[in-house]
Amino acid sequence: MNREPVILAFCCNWCSYAAADLAGISRLQYPGSIRIIRVMCSGMVHPEMVLHALNKGADGVIVVGCHLGECHYIKGNEMALARAEIIADTLEDLGIAAERFQLTWVSSSEPERLAEAFRAMSARLCALRAPATAEAADAAGEEA
Amino acid sequence: MSDQARPRLSCEWLHACAGCEMALLNCGDRLLGLLDRVSIVHFPLLMDHKYGDRAGAGFDLPRAEIGLVSGGVASREQLALLRTMRESCKTLVAFGTCATHGGIPALRNQWTVDQTLRTVFPEDEGECSSAFDGSSFLDRVYGIDEQVAVDLFLPGCPPRPETIVGVIEALLAGEQPQLTEKSVCEHCPTIRTGKGQRTVRRFLANAEYDPGEPIGSMRCLLEQGLLCMGPVTVGGCGGGETPLCIRARVPCRGCYGPVRRNGNQLLDMLNALASNGIDHRAIVDRRSLLRFSGAHGLLKPPEKRR
Repeated sequence: MNREPVILAFCCNWCSYAAADLAGISRLQYPGSIRIIRVMCSGMVHPEMVLHALNKGADGVIVVGCHLGECHYIKGNEMALARAEIIADTLEDLGIAAERFQLTWVSSSEPERLAEAFRAMSARLCALRAPATAEAADAAGEEA
Repeated sequence: MSDQARPRLSCEWLHACAGCEMALLNCGDRLLGLLDRVSIVHFPLLMDHKYGDRAGAGFDLPRAEIGLVSGGVASREQLALLRTMRESCKTLVAFGTCATHGGIPALRNQWTVDQTLRTVFPEDEGECSSAFDGSSFLDRVYGIDEQVAVDLFLPGCPPRPETIVGVIEALLAGEQPQLTEKSVCEHCPTIRTGKGQRTVRRFLANAEYDPGEPIGSMRCLLEQGLLCMGPVTVGGCGGGETPLCIRARVPCRGCYGPVRRNGNQLLDMLNALASNGIDHRAIVDRRSLLRFSGAHGLLKPPEKRR
């Protein structure tokens, strides 16, 4: 793969999006092919949204929420954790490598941790060869 | 009414088992009424006529106002036949779950064509294996709406006979047929308490119920720990009343396909289990949750890693 892997990051409004803000202000470096989508809570990211992203051409999806026990909505990130387990299992069932999905906790004061998670995911996806699906390959205009 | 004036009905099968056609013929007295109102011009199960060279590209099908197509698309011949059907029919109905979502044959989408052929026709056993030509196979089994425009989706394995006739009658009257968009659970009368088992078991022992009591006094099968696909399957099998499998006191197998047309029964079911705290890893073969809806690229061979 010549291009940088496109990664969709779902960041929760209260911790990880603030961390992404801080990462920008602090001029921390991470790959430019990461697209951040702000959501109110990591628990609202339905598994279908993850699958849709991968089918439409994303190479990977990362969901970032508050640390367990620090959720703005008390238990939203526990929902995200329960969903992450089924997403990882289901991706393999559906013929997509589980490495393309990741769940991470980042508080608003940990921009370095966020940037590191982005860099690690990008490197991991570079190691995988093809886009997630044939459909996705068409979307990206490449041969699978 | 003369044969010429009646609206014409054309029925074709692709990668299918004839169950949908049998369901249409199984609708009782209403079939007689229907036969008075339509003229059947093409129906391979009922009448024999030559309509094309299966090895070549050309098919010759009569024109019709209503076309029913059952079965998914798995080979080049079926694809050519489907395209001819689309051209010759004014209204094309995807008839049965194989046509709408791939159905059982689409289970092969989880392997490559090569793997499938080598499994089904092993080289070293049997005599006719080398004679079989798999070159006409498409890369996977498609729902017919992946290949041509479809006007109406009538899922079911098979669809309920009364519903099939109802749909044809509505089309004859120029109306939009009304099919339920609610899940099997919405039609299910069993008792839900919200406090069920934390795991699912295989259906080796029957559900707990009193045979003398009506279905409405039985506990929800999912809460009893049986893997019931009701939450992620569109209803209609019971015609607005108790779903068929539940009536037989067995869990729903998901044969009508997902509730929303582009839903994913596997993902939705696991999500439903996860949000209710049920251990999804207790399911033995998770991919079989897509046993009726593996087309549309949902089932595919595992991704190759470098």
